[in-house]
Amino acid sequence: MTKSKLSTWLLMLPSTGMLALLVVAPLAVLVFASLIQGNNLALDAALSLGNYATILEKGLFFPLMGKSLAMAGSVTAACILLAYPTAYGLAKCVGEKHRNLLVVLIIIPFFTSQLLLIYSMMVLLQANGPVMSLLGLFGRNASTSILYTNFAVFLILLYEFLPYMVLCLYSSMCKIEDNQLYAAQVMGAGKARRFLDVIFPLSSPGLLSGIIIVFVPAAGSFVEANLAGGTNGMLIGSYIDTNFSVSLNIGRGCALCVLFLLVLCVITLIINAVIRGVAGRRL
Amino acid sequence: MKKRYPFIRAVMIVVYAFIFLPIFIVALMSFNASQYGTFPFVFSTKWYVRLFTGASLGGATWLSIWFSLLVTLTMVVVGVMTSLGLKRSNAKFAKVFSALLNMGVIIPWLVLGVALLMIFNFIGLGRSYLGMYLGNSICVLPYVVLLVYPALCELNDNLEFAARAMGASPLRAFFTVVLPGIFPAVAAGGLMAFMVCFNNFVIQYYLAPFGVRTLPLEIYNMVRVGYKPDINALATIMVLVSTALVYLVNKLGYGSKRSLL
Repeated sequence: MTKSKLSTWLLMLPSTGMLALLVVAPLAVLVFASLIQGNNLALDAALSLGNYATILEKGLFFPLMGKSLAMAGSVTAACILLAYPTAYGLAKCVGEKHRNLLVVLIIIPFFTSQLLLIYSMMVLLQANGPVMSLLGLFGRNASTSILYTNFAVFLILLYEFLPYMVLCLYSSMCKIEDNQLYAAQVMGAGKARRFLDVIFPLSSPGLLSGIIIVFVPAAGSFVEANLAGGTNGMLIGSYIDTNFSVSLNIGRGCALCVLFLLVLCVITLIINAVIRGVAGRRL
Repeated sequence: MKKRYPFIRAVMIVVYAFIFLPIFIVALMSFNASQYGTFPFVFSTKWYVRLFTGASLGGATWLSIWFSLLVTLTMVVVGVMTSLGLKRSNAKFAKVFSALLNMGVIIPWLVLGVALLMIFNFIGLGRSYLGMYLGNSICVLPYVVLLVYPALCELNDNLEFAARAMGASPLRAFFTVVLPGIFPAVAAGGLMAFMVCFNNFVIQYYLAPFGVRTLPLEIYNMVRVGYKPDINALATIMVLVSTALVYLVNKLGYGSKRSLL
């Protein structure tokens, strides 16, 4: 018995060590560094809440955080609106033969580099590119472009995260039995009732993981805004990034990270409670 | 359920068009002679020639491939060990452990990348190959465990007991009975790990040594400077490669019924 305990312990050692040293410890250092003024990262540095005070006073944090949350929220909402019918169609309407192919097609972008997805969307939207040429036929100036606006960032994020939402919803819709839908139909439930009382509560675990998998990274995105957001495209992610790669203010950057994580935690808890509550009442 | 669903059909067409139109346009543009990716369309393969003769993208691609292979091979070993250990541990520990493991997925990579850079600076490692390796490894590990652990739980334990009772050592029982049983999941986990590492821009952006450019970093720099038509050729090739890999994962039985998440 003790021998098997020892071997279990040895099996778990590498990954436990990695989690401790590469997740827990870095986060602890992040919090520590957020209490340091400027860039002097040393054990004996003077600690203060100065960074937090500056951030909250300067007033750039709240508008950018709000903008990121609005962006992530609208991307998530658009993902849900498009992914629900698609996932339902994949799970319940498409024949067995086509289903496999269609699911594989959804997975392909998921396996393709994020940078290439951003880039291909930029090619599509660029001035004199396909979309603008098409709009040009309807009297818009083809040499202007919707690229380098917030809307372009929205489209790119939607493009990147839509497959995640479809896959999450699809996997939980596969578990809904056809008989449950039939039963609801026989009992006289219309399409709306069937969705609200059967499909939605039973697919809510997938919806919940989909929302978290889309919302959290979208709120922390900065590459899309850097590349396609133009001059007014700054998001909280890009603000955090500039503190490390442009203006080099490590203490403030870390404090921003900590605040950002806190906001995300609160929002994740709220989403969790809301979805569980609504779905639970419907069950 | 053989009815017509006009609304669902329409949404599905829109979704698939939205997902594949950009990829399709990029593939088309990779054969277009125009430098700026604009119409009219003139057929040419010169961007593919430039892709293979120009040094920057080719070098970055090789660096990314061997680096991702190294991360994948080591993390598949660690991931399988972890799954074996998790199955033997008590439920309470397993729950805490998987919650912690999921944190590696849920924390935005931006924050994790910054936090890792801080701790590496703090201990004097800084931006280095070792740091980049460790950072990518911790991002990849949860995916391997997420795929391998459920497969291990579904495996019939009696086979292993039988092998042990017949006198096989634990190691021999693992390699001749357990590993073949979970091999599809291990392979799928490995492919997933490779793709996640290969495409992980954010972590590499913060942890790559100065002057070293992996493929995502190289593409980022090229896109930021302006439109570069040889990226079209590269993107086309990479989409084809990922299509082949997705097909492989699917063949291994982890595409349709089981979700990748």
